[in-house]
Amino acid sequence: MTATQNAPVPAGTTSPAPARVRDGRRRRRGGLGERLVPYLLILPTLVAVLVLLGWPTIQMLGISLRQLDLRELVTGKTVWIGFANYTATLSDPKFWSVALRTVVFTALLVAATLLVALVIALLMRHLNPVIRILVQISLVLAWAVPVIATTTVFQWIFDQQYGILNKTLDRLGFHSFIGYSWFSTGASTLAVIGLLVLWQAVPFVAFTLYAGLIGVPREQYEAAGIDGAGPWQTFRAVSWPAIRPILTMVTFLSVLWDFNMFGQVWAIRQGGPDGASTTLAILQYLKGIAGSHFGSAAAIATMMLVLLLLVTARYVQLLVRTKDGELA
Amino acid sequence: MKRWLKLAAGAAAITLATAGCAGSGGGDNASGSGGSQGGTLTVWLMNGSAPASLTDALNKEFEAAHAGVKVNYQIQEWNGIQQKLTTALASDTPPDVIEIGNTQTPAFASQGVLTDLSGDVASLNGPQWLAGLKASGEFEGKTYGVPFYAANREVLYRKDMFAQAGIAAPPASDAEWLDDIAKLKAKFGSDKDFQPLYLPGQYWYALLSFIWDNGGDVAKADGKGFTSTLDSAGSKAGLEFYKQLVDASGTTAPKDNDEATPEQAGIYGGGKVAMFIGTPGEVATAAKTDPTIAGKTGAFPIPSKTAGQTAPVFLGGSNLVIPVNSKSPDLAKEYLKLLTSTKYMSQMAAAGYVPGASTDTSALDKDPLGSVMAKASKNGRAVPTSPKWGEVESGQNPLKDMLTAYLTGKKSLNQATADADTALDKIIGG
Repeated sequence: MTATQNAPVPAGTTSPAPARVRDGRRRRRGGLGERLVPYLLILPTLVAVLVLLGWPTIQMLGISLRQLDLRELVTGKTVWIGFANYTATLSDPKFWSVALRTVVFTALLVAATLLVALVIALLMRHLNPVIRILVQISLVLAWAVPVIATTTVFQWIFDQQYGILNKTLDRLGFHSFIGYSWFSTGASTLAVIGLLVLWQAVPFVAFTLYAGLIGVPREQYEAAGIDGAGPWQTFRAVSWPAIRPILTMVTFLSVLWDFNMFGQVWAIRQGGPDGASTTLAILQYLKGIAGSHFGSAAAIATMMLVLLLLVTARYVQLLVRTKDGELA
Repeated sequence: MKRWLKLAAGAAAITLATAGCAGSGGGDNASGSGGSQGGTLTVWLMNGSAPASLTDALNKEFEAAHAGVKVNYQIQEWNGIQQKLTTALASDTPPDVIEIGNTQTPAFASQGVLTDLSGDVASLNGPQWLAGLKASGEFEGKTYGVPFYAANREVLYRKDMFAQAGIAAPPASDAEWLDDIAKLKAKFGSDKDFQPLYLPGQYWYALLSFIWDNGGDVAKADGKGFTSTLDSAGSKAGLEFYKQLVDASGTTAPKDNDEATPEQAGIYGGGKVAMFIGTPGEVATAAKTDPTIAGKTGAFPIPSKTAGQTAPVFLGGSNLVIPVNSKSPDLAKEYLKLLTSTKYMSQMAAAGYVPGASTDTSALDKDPLGSVMAKASKNGRAVPTSPKWGEVESGQNPLKDMLTAYLTGKKSLNQATADADTALDKIIGG
């Protein structure tokens, strides 16, 4: 035992093996209290996570197996109906078309967000400081405006009669845009909503990616330049490895946000016209809040959770597997 | 990492086990305390209903008559009220008296969350209740809601513009109405911002009048449920007349939005609109844009296709209810008794509403806009008294989608009405 402790560690190499052995032995010798300390230290966090996240999730699962309308809510009756909420929802063709629409919309939106944010982040690296600060201030301002305020502004911009967009297009010679309704089809409505979400989501992603980019030492770019690498090659060889883990993280976060987004979609056209911009979050609201069918709403929420888990399974897998939280 | 996972899994299992009765709380009445106990009567009325002068006097009189009782009077906003009511009604100590919209009443009544007032109708001025509102407060033969007040739509018009266009008297039939629109257009049409009649595409309250006037209806009672009848000949004729009005007027109002977005009274206040369908109260909103407009505004009832008659109107309004969980239902009934007395009902009339529990509309008749409304309210009708109707209005309203699809030409009349029937049946059918 003492021999191990005194064993010389060769300079320059970092072999953690001796330290580990030593660690293990000391722990085994320690009393019960000492062994409990780490668990006691994480206990508050664990309790908070369980109470704030675990409990509502369990409640949601429980409610999804019950018939819970206004009557049951008020009288406090518990009516278990098994998987009836699930079979009813899954057998509704509307659910499937809405689910598909939500997944496609989320995918396009996340891709667009990342692309625009990446371009802005790369651009910020090359701008002169004054312009860059101006760009950064603009981004922060776009980000800082409350969601509903931005939504209202977008509604005004795209208004059929009084919107500045149609008036501007008219002035520019596109006279067919007088009284043009941007909300006449689901695709066009979702495009406006997508633009609105993009506007609010890009700043965060751009700043995060920019933070990753400025972590790359200048010398690496200079070295790439000396080696004769073009802009694309420089990006592939130098910038990309630096931002890939961050990109994975913001992709994951964007998927979560965009998939569950409700406020903007509801505020723009309540999922219309004719239900053509209804997403899963809207469907859940219609069932739960508008219709007071809390059981079916919980079933939809559960299926949203499952869908999200499927979509983000790869990320969760990476998160659990990698050491030190390093991604990709 | 692994150990952490195990621990988390263990904890989750324990939580699951203890959660065997997930969410069974809510109706635990074992220790209801606070709220309405201790001689307090909590009353929720909506913003913009009874004026403060009325409620101040009412609460004072009630407290004087019931020693030791304090009225906790609160004003609620319409926005988000459905959710707030749901939460309040589910609690152990809900308010004791609540004002709820007439179209919301059947939903709450059917769920057994309101006190049965069938035995108190007579003492609450029952014989004088407004017929259109009375029906909305009843469910399966029992009375749950007491009519509070109603308002209905009429056509508000610019008297000066009518005079300039050479229109001597307001139209008395649909045909005359269309003629007058043409005359107004001929006179003022050179101004491209001018609209003889402002009529947004999703103004389904206005559509109801035209449907009823043509003998159609939204749905008909069918045993326990309702069957949508928007594809009936009468309903289709109503929709066709709606389109005729939109086309004749050439209104630039959005076809994919309702009268609230943008607020139609504000557009009328802009001075380029000769007519709109609205309640007398909306003139005050228009006056915020142009204070002189109130003096230039007159009213006539929504015309009928039959000359000399007027079209039935949708009766919007409120009922008063007592939550079933109320701790002081008897005090609440006393309060309702006072509020439905002729004295306070007359004050509602003076405030510009059709009183719900009194036939005395003399205070309303003094106002030229109000008297037209009071007269039309006699021919007032309600939406189907389905307990699920609330879902139609708070969700995606099939009537609105139908109007937009038909008016924009996206769907034929037959297709639009058939689709709306399917969507509506999904909610209120069965």
